[in-house]
Amino acid sequence: MEAHMSLTRKLLRLGNSVEALEAAKRAIHFSDGVLRLCLTVSHLNRAMYFACDNILWAGKTGLISKLNQQKWSQRSFRYYLFALVLHLTRDVYELGLLMECEARNRATKVSPLPVDQVYAPSSSPSPAVPNLVIPEQFRRQLHLLLTVLYNNPPLLLDLLKNSCDIFIPLDRLGIYSTGSGFVGACGLTSSVLSILTMIHPWLKLKP
Amino acid sequence: MAALINFTNQSQGRDRIFRATQYACALSVYLLRNKERPDLVEKLKSLEVSMSTGRKLFRLGNTINSIEAAKRTMQLSDRVLCLCLTVANINRALYFACDNVLWARSVGLIRDINKERWSLNASRCYFLSIVMSLTRDVYIVSQLMVQKVRDKRFRQKMDQHLSESPEIAEPIIPQLDAFLFLLLESLRSQPAVALDTLKNICDLFIPLDKLGLYQSNAGVVGFCGLVSSVIGILTLAQPKLRITP
Repeated sequence: MEAHMSLTRKLLRLGNSVEALEAAKRAIHFSDGVLRLCLTVSHLNRAMYFACDNILWAGKTGLISKLNQQKWSQRSFRYYLFALVLHLTRDVYELGLLMECEARNRATKVSPLPVDQVYAPSSSPSPAVPNLVIPEQFRRQLHLLLTVLYNNPPLLLDLLKNSCDIFIPLDRLGIYSTGSGFVGACGLTSSVLSILTMIHPWLKLKP
Repeated sequence: MAALINFTNQSQGRDRIFRATQYACALSVYLLRNKERPDLVEKLKSLEVSMSTGRKLFRLGNTINSIEAAKRTMQLSDRVLCLCLTVANINRALYFACDNVLWARSVGLIRDINKERWSLNASRCYFLSIVMSLTRDVYIVSQLMVQKVRDKRFRQKMDQHLSESPEIAEPIIPQLDAFLFLLLESLRSQPAVALDTLKNICDLFIPLDKLGLYQSNAGVVGFCGLVSSVIGILTLAQPKLRITP
């Protein structure tokens, strides 16, 4: 049944190269430089992935005889991996921007304390202080990260989806072999997440 | 439920293109049967089979779509339309249900079912749904014809048409000539109805052949399937050409 579903999905994806190219054309007009680069290149890679996928389908159904399925399969996964890496880069970039924004909001909200109270804890000569300062900063950053993710469910879903998706080409290309069970679970999770974004369009990350 | 339907409708356009490809392959295989091109025929056959099995998978949710459509058509005010469309939709829902069972059998999920019997039942339901759709088309066309006959301007036009023919050829049965003129004018005024009637007539040949009621050959079935798929693509691309309700 898995083979049947895979072949049928390849059939359904027959038009997706053109869609990905159109998406790349739209992405060229974004104002933000990093987003523009990431999304355009990622859509171009997706277009190449779909083109390789279409060729694989033609080979599997017998339209093209004597096709080196392994070679084309590897090619398609390489394009897919690169597209996912760029998507993740974009997610991390947006996360960074939002965290910066949130940190600035927090800084303006915190009421200014008298100077001696601010510097009192760090000036105490206790040897335990250096061990506490680093985790404190780390904890603050972590808290900031979790707050930003909690307030932006589309970004969180997209990040989770791309993280799950990336294990598939990593396993197939042999870069980081996990078992087929893990790959199946990751694929299932990312599919469920994308179904959720289709049912609730507000959960889709824009642009 | 609305979200599920919106979700599945996105693949409707692709399904129609694949159906057109499937029947084009069937027609081509029939046309090439006497020529010495076994490799091409083999490729076309395998493409047709892969399109057909792929489409069965896409149709997995269509039973629910058809039941929802039947619920909507039950609320139509015109009783004849209500009856025809509701029965057509219920039969389509049954056809899709049989189709899903056949898909499960072909994939290997279910093993002990009588494939021939289920295939026959699917064809019967499909046949009934097309007959009901054609009945609805005939009803709408007859209503249009009655409307036209009552229109004074159209009657003048028809009288003009009937009186100018004696110079060209004597009409053997003047009433038949008048009827045909009325029919063609009605169909021309409503292209959506004309297209739907043609589509249903073409579609009818497929189950007629499968059920053995009117054995045509694979070429006719392929050609009719192709024409009806192309009309389906046209009505999807141009919503004005889609019959309502």
